Amino acid sequence: MEYILSLLPTMLGGTVVTLKLFAFTLVMALPIGVVFAIARLSSLRFLNYFMQFYIWVFRGTPLLLQLLFIYYGLGIVGIKIDRFTAAVLSFVLNYSAYLAEIYRAGIQSIDRGQSEAADVLGLTRFQTMTRIILPQMFKRVLPPISNEVINLIKDTALVYAIGMSELLRVAKTASVRDFSFIPFFTAALFYLLMIGLVQQFFKWLEAKYDYYR
Amino acid sequence: MYILQALDIHKSFKKTEVLKGITLQLAKGEVLAIIGPSGSGKSTLLRCLNRLETIDSGVIEIDGEIMVRNDPKGRAVYSSEKDIARIRRKMGMVFQNFNLFPHKSVLENLMLAPMLVQRLDAVQAKERALVLLEKVGLSDKVNNYPFELSGGQQQRVAIARALAMNPDIMCFDEPTSALDPELTGEVLNVMKDLAADKMTMIVVTHEIGFAREVADRVIFMDDGLIVEQGTAEDVLLNPQHERTKTFLSTVLMAR
Ligand SMILES: Nc1ncnc2c1ncn2[C@@H]1O[C@H](COP(=O)(O)OP(=O)(O)O)[C@@H](O)[C@H]1O
Ligand SMILES: [Mg+2]
Repeated sequence: MEYILSLLPTMLGGTVVTLKLFAFTLVMALPIGVVFAIARLSSLRFLNYFMQFYIWVFRGTPLLLQLLFIYYGLGIVGIKIDRFTAAVLSFVLNYSAYLAEIYRAGIQSIDRGQSEAADVLGLTRFQTMTRIILPQMFKRVLPPISNEVINLIKDTALVYAIGMSELLRVAKTASVRDFSFIPFFTAALFYLLMIGLVQQFFKWLEAKYDYYR
Repeated sequence: MYILQALDIHKSFKKTEVLKGITLQLAKGEVLAIIGPSGSGKSTLLRCLNRLETIDSGVIEIDGEIMVRNDPKGRAVYSSEKDIARIRRKMGMVFQNFNLFPHKSVLENLMLAPMLVQRLDAVQAKERALVLLEKVGLSDKVNNYPFELSGGQQQRVAIARALAMNPDIMCFDEPTSALDPELTGEVLNVMKDLAADKMTMIVVTHEIGFAREVADRVIFMDDGLIVEQGTAEDVLLNPQHERTKTFLSTVLMAR
């Protein structure tokens, strides 16, 4: 017990890094994904194809590769960014692609009659999207979105590869140093706690959206 | 003086021609019923009139304003988006499946478009909505959500929602076809009230009784063409064409 307590300061430090990356990624990727989904559904050929290509690339290669490419690869061509920025950038680019596909499926699942009804009432396409389609879409995509958010928490561990001291790396360092499995065990508890909170939050959101069917 | 004129409307989906030259006129205050077998192009015609579908050739004029006309080569050319938006606002549309906004309450369904499109403030929009809900007999459902209503009630809300934009013409596409038989009456009654108020209406329907009672004129469509038209009495009681007779007997048999 005392040992676990002695681990806490560094573990908490690692958790802060993890949570910061998590929060930055979500705050940007959640809305960017919506924009990408709409672009992906655009009747403008160029935009549509560009988004298909983008989504193909970012879902088709490992996030770890994207992370290494952005941090080390850009460094090689002389663009220097700090570790955290590189991590946020690659996570946002990657998660926006996944979220865009979820949103796209959500938008397409809304009955065409909804936009037709809005259309004959005189709403603009923008109003129809923001007032009619997107609100209904969000309710439908909550379950897949919560999956992605949980994945994101676990994916943050990847940034150990560019030398960031997030939770898992801190645990590994302590484990090797003290020759103990307890740091890993503690890290697991931290992850479970964070994911438990995320699950509760989505439960609450789903209940909040339960006022209509 | 016609409030709506459609001349020689042609419309194809891919290679199949669905409207093969439809011409119709509608006088202010007139109730026009369109009947015909399924697949004959009735919905497509309505959808073309308020540009949910675009036509290939023909002319559509509403309240003296041209929405679409032919170029010298006989291809449809639409007016500017701005003009079309204004022209379309004169038409209300009621769908077979209601298409209420499920995430909005009954009141919000009625207030949305007047506020967003006509820039009414919330007080005015609410006032208008409450009057209309009273008119369709749903004053007690103001704060309910669509899923809490019966099909008949939902369709009455949909009618009120269309009326909230003060249209000059109301289009109905089989408004009772998705309803249980015992619920059609309440919707048809609302429509009868509208007709009595001299609303100009185009109603695609299989309700022959309703057409006979309410319609000033009936059009029978088959295979993308108007086969027969005239007063409700002429078309429904004294049909001249074989196809009309056959259709009427099958519809009446089904009752
Ligand atoms: N969006 C569409 N794409 C392709 N074919 C369509 C479409 N809408 C209607 N059709 C076809 O057009 C014909 C007329 O359909 P519709 O206007 O719905 O007839 P009705 O309302 O009289 O039953 C049908 O053969 C139908 O399959
Ligand atoms: Mg139809």
